[in-house]
Amino acid sequence: MSEPKPNDERQEIGAGLVEYSPENVMPFGPVHPSLKEPEYFRLILEGARIKEVVPRIGYVHRGIERAAQERSWVKNIYLFERVCGICSFAHSLGYTQAVEALTVYRVPPRAKYIRVVVAELERIHSHLLWLGLVGHWAGFDTLFMWIWKDREHVLDLSEAITGNRIHKSYATFGGVRKDLPEGIKERILEEMSYIEKRARYYNELVQTEETLTIRTKGVGKITQETARRLCCVGPLLRCTGISRDVRVEDPYAAYDEVVPEIQTSPDGDISSLLTLRIGEVLESCRLIREALEKLPSGPFRTPVPRVVPAGDSTLHVEAPRGELFYFVKSAGASVPARVKIRTPTMANLLTATEMLKGRPLADVPIVLTGMDPCFGCMDRVSVVDLDRSTEWACSGEQLRQLGINYYRRRK
Amino acid sequence: MERVAESLGAKVETSHNSLLISIDPTRVKEACSLVSAIPGLYHLTTITAIDLGPAIELRYHFWEGRSFVTVKTELRKEDLTIESASGVVPAATLYEAEIQDLFGVTFKGNPYVGKRLLLPDEYPADAPPPLRVEADPEKIRKLMGLE
Repeated sequence: MSEPKPNDERQEIGAGLVEYSPENVMPFGPVHPSLKEPEYFRLILEGARIKEVVPRIGYVHRGIERAAQERSWVKNIYLFERVCGICSFAHSLGYTQAVEALTVYRVPPRAKYIRVVVAELERIHSHLLWLGLVGHWAGFDTLFMWIWKDREHVLDLSEAITGNRIHKSYATFGGVRKDLPEGIKERILEEMSYIEKRARYYNELVQTEETLTIRTKGVGKITQETARRLCCVGPLLRCTGISRDVRVEDPYAAYDEVVPEIQTSPDGDISSLLTLRIGEVLESCRLIREALEKLPSGPFRTPVPRVVPAGDSTLHVEAPRGELFYFVKSAGASVPARVKIRTPTMANLLTATEMLKGRPLADVPIVLTGMDPCFGCMDRVSVVDLDRSTEWACSGEQLRQLGINYYRRRK
Repeated sequence: MERVAESLGAKVETSHNSLLISIDPTRVKEACSLVSAIPGLYHLTTITAIDLGPAIELRYHFWEGRSFVTVKTELRKEDLTIESASGVVPAATLYEAEIQDLFGVTFKGNPYVGKRLLLPDEYPADAPPPLRVEADPEKIRKLMGLE
């Protein structure tokens, strides 16, 4: 892409964003086909230290909001599921609940509980995926492989319940598409015991293993004040000690009866994000047990009409990464008049820029992974070093090694 | 909340889980500043833009507990300029930049004015922004030389 023309010297452009002359700008990103959702960060360096960060996004903007205006209400469930390849159920849940709010039909209790079970399974799989990635970027690949193996147990459960591992196509207007299969309850409980055992082990590991602590303690620190000011969401907000969770404050599905205990962590760094997310995995296991125990009998779906009455609704759910927002406007037609989505990564982007400021270049992969974005720019980085009048490009792997070597030297 | 609405001279209505404060575009920044200063309402969830045909509607959703407080305004398409709220609510920065790209609204004072956050650089400057009703994907493809 062509660069926006920078000014010759430092210039405040508002909201904490600053433009610099090109001499010390490192373009970070934007695209690598093997990962999803690339983003682009202009890193302004002072030596090897990051001074300012200006984000630029949209490289995989697929015009889904526009596409939704041309598809029927039902088809849109499957379209919105494809916004994210990790928290697909959170998206379909956000959309179906926003549409249900416009109709007089109410979801049967059994469906609400099943929705909780699947949403919590998704949270476990998303957090485990993230935990493994942090291990990888910190140079601890054993952890990555262990955790991704454990994550398979959750994906298998997801397949057994919904028929699919990732894009579950499970939530639908008025409930879920099918009932829980025969005998699944015992299998889920068994797997939850396994996940809990592993999560407790990882909890101890991430706090004691030096490979991780040296890379995460005090790294990417944010304060409560910053988190509040920039309105960040999800684990990133809770890791500063602020106790906010949509599931508790604005309960949906069966969360008013199966109440989560909000996990918080005081330090606001990557290390506290690790323990916080493991805490959330354990809490999700507890919620799944409770939901299965209380699971009411009855229908799993109510038939709903094809036409949605005119009106608009605002709704949010707690996706694994934080508050996911849906605004749906209906004009009474067979297609929506407008659907607006705000994903958690969008809300956390400004906070991520704050986390990077003042950190060495070596911390970029772990801090950006730390915010748990849908992010994929690691493999195309070009570095301009004017002191040596050289320009070089480094791959994601080289950047990972840079981080590992940087901390090895300091040890 | 009522006191804030009264001091702004705004019309207040409720819809589902939202309290809607309808206000003139010139006073949106002031309204955002007052609403976000109410304890517990600091969280700006996002800004939604809706194309109504002759005008663009903007909704600033602030979240607290079980409801949203939404500051709502309408901008005529003849003059799609409004004061940026990013000075009083920094989280608005990227949401405004997104609307600037997708609906062509200019938020005076936003750091992304004249820059792009989401749209590709090769998106033709003379084509209507992609989420406007008058944007025709076929024509835009032609303008971009894709056909």
